[in-house]
Amino acid sequence: MKKLLAIVLSLCMMASVLTAMAEGFTPAESYDVGERKFDGGSITTAAAGEGGGEVNTVPYAGEAGKDYTDEKVYTFSDYITATSSMDWNPHTWETNDDNSLLSMITMGFYDFVLNEDMSGYSVIPEMAAALPVDVTSEYVGKYGVAEGETAKAFRIALNQDATWENGEKITADDYIYSMQQQLNPKMLNRRADSYYAGDMIIHNAKNYLYAGKTTYDLITDTAENLIAAGEKVYLDLGFWGIVGAPDHDGNLAPNYVAIDDETEYRDAAVEEGADEAWVSAKYLFDNYLAAGAPYEAYQSQYLYTASVAPETAWEDVGLVKVDDYTIDLILDKPVQEAAFYMPYNLGSNWLVYKPLYEQCKIFYDADGKSVATEEEATEVKTTYCTSLDTTIGYGPYKLTYFELDKQISFARNEEWYGYRDGKHLGQYQADNYSMQVIADHATQLMAFEAGQLDGISLQSDDMAKYASSNYIVYEPQSYTTKVSFNTNYEKLLSRGTNSQILVVDEFREAFALALDRQHFATAFTSAGTAGFGLLNYQYVYNPFTGEAYRDSEGAKDALVSLYGLSYGEGTDYATLDEAYDAMTGYNMDLAREKMAEAYDKAIAAGIWDGEAPITIDFRVYQNDTIYVQMFTYFDEQLKAATEGTGFEGKVSLTMTVDADYYETNYSGGADIIFTTWGGAAMSPFTMMNQCYTDGADGSGNQMEYGFDTTAIELTINVDGKDVVDNLCNWTNWIGASTDPALVGHLESELGAFTSYDYNTRCAFLAAAEKCFLSYYTTTPVYYRNVASLHSQKINYPTTQYNMMAGFGGLRFYTFNYDDTEWAEYIANNTLQY
Amino acid sequence: MTKYVVKRILLMFLTLFVIMTLCFILIKLLPLPAIREMGRDVNLILAKREKMGYNKPIMVQYYLFLKSVLTEWDWGVGEQMYEGLSVWAVLVQKLPYTILVNLYSILFAIPLGLAFGIYAALKKNKWQDHLISTAVVIFISVPSYVYAFLVQYFLCFRLGWFPLTLESLDNASLFSWRMFVSMMPAILSLGFGVVAGLTRYTRAELSEVLTGDYMLLARTKGLTKAQAISRHAMRNAMVVILPMIIGEFIGILGGSLIIEKIFGIPGIGSMFVASINVRDYNFFMALTVFYTFIGLASGIITDISYGFIDPRIRMGSKK
Repeated sequence: MKKLLAIVLSLCMMASVLTAMAEGFTPAESYDVGERKFDGGSITTAAAGEGGGEVNTVPYAGEAGKDYTDEKVYTFSDYITATSSMDWNPHTWETNDDNSLLSMITMGFYDFVLNEDMSGYSVIPEMAAALPVDVTSEYVGKYGVAEGETAKAFRIALNQDATWENGEKITADDYIYSMQQQLNPKMLNRRADSYYAGDMIIHNAKNYLYAGKTTYDLITDTAENLIAAGEKVYLDLGFWGIVGAPDHDGNLAPNYVAIDDETEYRDAAVEEGADEAWVSAKYLFDNYLAAGAPYEAYQSQYLYTASVAPETAWEDVGLVKVDDYTIDLILDKPVQEAAFYMPYNLGSNWLVYKPLYEQCKIFYDADGKSVATEEEATEVKTTYCTSLDTTIGYGPYKLTYFELDKQISFARNEEWYGYRDGKHLGQYQADNYSMQVIADHATQLMAFEAGQLDGISLQSDDMAKYASSNYIVYEPQSYTTKVSFNTNYEKLLSRGTNSQILVVDEFREAFALALDRQHFATAFTSAGTAGFGLLNYQYVYNPFTGEAYRDSEGAKDALVSLYGLSYGEGTDYATLDEAYDAMTGYNMDLAREKMAEAYDKAIAAGIWDGEAPITIDFRVYQNDTIYVQMFTYFDEQLKAATEGTGFEGKVSLTMTVDADYYETNYSGGADIIFTTWGGAAMSPFTMMNQCYTDGADGSGNQMEYGFDTTAIELTINVDGKDVVDNLCNWTNWIGASTDPALVGHLESELGAFTSYDYNTRCAFLAAAEKCFLSYYTTTPVYYRNVASLHSQKINYPTTQYNMMAGFGGLRFYTFNYDDTEWAEYIANNTLQY
Repeated sequence: MTKYVVKRILLMFLTLFVIMTLCFILIKLLPLPAIREMGRDVNLILAKREKMGYNKPIMVQYYLFLKSVLTEWDWGVGEQMYEGLSVWAVLVQKLPYTILVNLYSILFAIPLGLAFGIYAALKKNKWQDHLISTAVVIFISVPSYVYAFLVQYFLCFRLGWFPLTLESLDNASLFSWRMFVSMMPAILSLGFGVVAGLTRYTRAELSEVLTGDYMLLARTKGLTKAQAISRHAMRNAMVVILPMIIGEFIGILGGSLIIEKIFGIPGIGSMFVASINVRDYNFFMALTVFYTFIGLASGIITDISYGFIDPRIRMGSKK
């Protein structure tokens, strides 16, 4: 009996050992994606013409002859979802809601409105009296302007009829004072960077703002390279949570400390006497952030270079009063295609009303104690434009009522020049404009159907009822929503969920092919359309004609070939357009083939044992019904793609709600996330380098963690000659970067990107876009659109959305009923939409 | 009793201080909202945060916070929400809506809840009791926002008896009839649940009390049924019911996130969660202190109320 027991026990032990061995599969320590070379095709170039073009300056006439000063009262009733984040101070505003409020009570130098036949846009001077004039030659030798330069200084004649809503004239002095306040170093107004960090950099604006102060900028190269180049690099001690911690002498740790500084600070989170109870910036860098250290990838988030802004007098800032109604703007960077981009950059305004602005200032010293004057203060706060009493405007309407989280009302500003100058006939029929705060969508819908609102944005659930309404309009947006994958093997492996399978190109490609984008857009969005490219139809490559990048031949060809279609003789499609129209991006059979390839590749590379379950974490912002439905669809499609392959029954997605999922993703903490890029629709060529291709150190906005675009060799045959560089450098050249380290090689080979005509530029961009998408680290899913209804009370001049002028806006909306008539109408009728 | 009350109040402030300190430290330990914004100058935001004192040691920040609150009653200004506005001013502006809507709903609910509860207890195990009890179960089980949708759709949208959303102060003053009418949908939505709760408690307590020996004694002494119920049964039943009513009164300050959202009430219902989401320290701290204080105060008031309702209950006695 004892023997039998011993044999059984021995067998059990052997079985345990064998099981343990089977379970003990260790995935490979790394994964080699192989050499990445991409053929970007051939481009025959053409040079750009002189000057760029002319903008249309003939606006839509409105319903000419209509008397908008009649005694009838017309009110446009709108809604917003909250006022908690509203800020309509012209120096600090942020959101679209802020902008829509400001657009009622202020006016830009120029405005983009519907053109005469409503087929495009037209530029009209508003607070300016005429289009800007290039006066660069007058400033040679001053404000950084060199001999021979153009498009750096512009003269703006001001509208002499413009007044504040109290009737006081607006002159050049108001513009000068307002810019001084915009750049007030004690206020640090959030919008100040619009004048030094964007496309329109006013000479010395940044230096005036930061005069004498040290500013820190995140590093744009590796710390090691910067040190080698003689730069000093600083560590943000927030990295270790020890900002303000005492050193051995009791001095508190500043925010930024040089990485060679050995001053030790007490880390309160660690017991005295234990390791790392005292740490220095040098220790932290050497042990955690330096090349080869565990957090090397975080260099671009915690390391800075420093610079001291020189003391700068206002006289040296590039905003000059020429006379009472003329100002000159002198910029650091020439404005390309200035006929369009100067009015575009001056579409908003920085004006504030001096008496009220001064009255609204609150002064604090360094300890946060109130002081009496600005001179004594180190910080100046303001209550300007935070309530009815602190608001004064100069636009077509004035603020008449503001109740926090309840209602905002405007009435016609009788002092506005537009009602008297004869140039705005047929515009602004609405006498009043009211915005109710209604956060709940069901309530919004009922209010709209009850005639209390004149417009409403629809959600996907509403489309069954309203899709065929005569009052529905579609507003395309520039945003493309995609699914982005983490492809950093080490990060994925560390999860222990086998999600490292995402590093296999074919796996991601199979996922992409398994998505029926048209179905997705219809089922889960109100008005979205299937998305195939990184940039959608709203990106305009020629601002003078309004032609869209996505409609260009190069852009179409890139997607057609990416999704495996061909055209021409002997193929399925005769022309590029036919193939483009037939493109779906959905091919489940091919997805399964790719999945089978991925299986073989994963096994061969030893990154997965072929049996263990694979769980891929899909991080989402929230878990409302739509998100759950979207997630379920992805999970089902992924599982469908694995059918008949070695992955079948072993792969699943999990959904994790993470309000900071973008930040999680930036540090490699997510497997898959939804990513959306858009905006800057008039600048398609800067999108790739700003949003999709980080530098070698990971700095930038790219969301495809682990995808190193500097390691992809892109070859484009340009006029018969192969030009080779990495994808990151190509996109920087296309984005007109001025950094010679990034674009030096391509500029020496090809010259400046802007020296080519628009079609050539589109072809280069298309090659870069196709190259990026071909690695399936992101796959576009849908282009965003907004569907909305307008009430029977009002008419839009056009239902064709224009990127610059919308549907005409309040400027051109007309009314079928005045307030009394409408009240009577809705009391006796049920509105049908 | 006085000594007990004073002791409880002092303990309340000690608890409040501990909770406030912990909350301040914990919220400050959370990372600040990301400032990655394309085309924007990160320095500007970092410099602003430096000026706001975000980079000072947490306990230094706490000292400055306490100092300004205690010496100047200054709760700071909104930094991530209601930017630039005084936290205290925003709360003072929004709180009346929350209080008023909830107060009306309780005033609506108390008489109805007591009446239904008494009636059900008196008709115990008869069809009226079954009907009321069934309705109570339904009304307690269904969340208030479901009533809100139904009330809004049928009474406001279909029948047009009430406006869909609360009136603004531009159209009606806070205590006007018009404002009251516009609050009715929210009052009804919030009130149904309270009515059901009170009915259930009143029925249960009264049913139990009515079977007590002293009720039999009261009747045998010659009191009518009504006299016995009002003088003896109700008084004893109220020992449990009244603290519940007081608790409801105190709880009204909390507001209702969903009801306020549906009916466009600019109250404080959603502010607490929003302040955490956007990491607005000043609003978070002001609301934390507010809610903690309300919670602690309601506990004390409820405990003290027992003594007033039933003289047999004496707190703090050593005998």
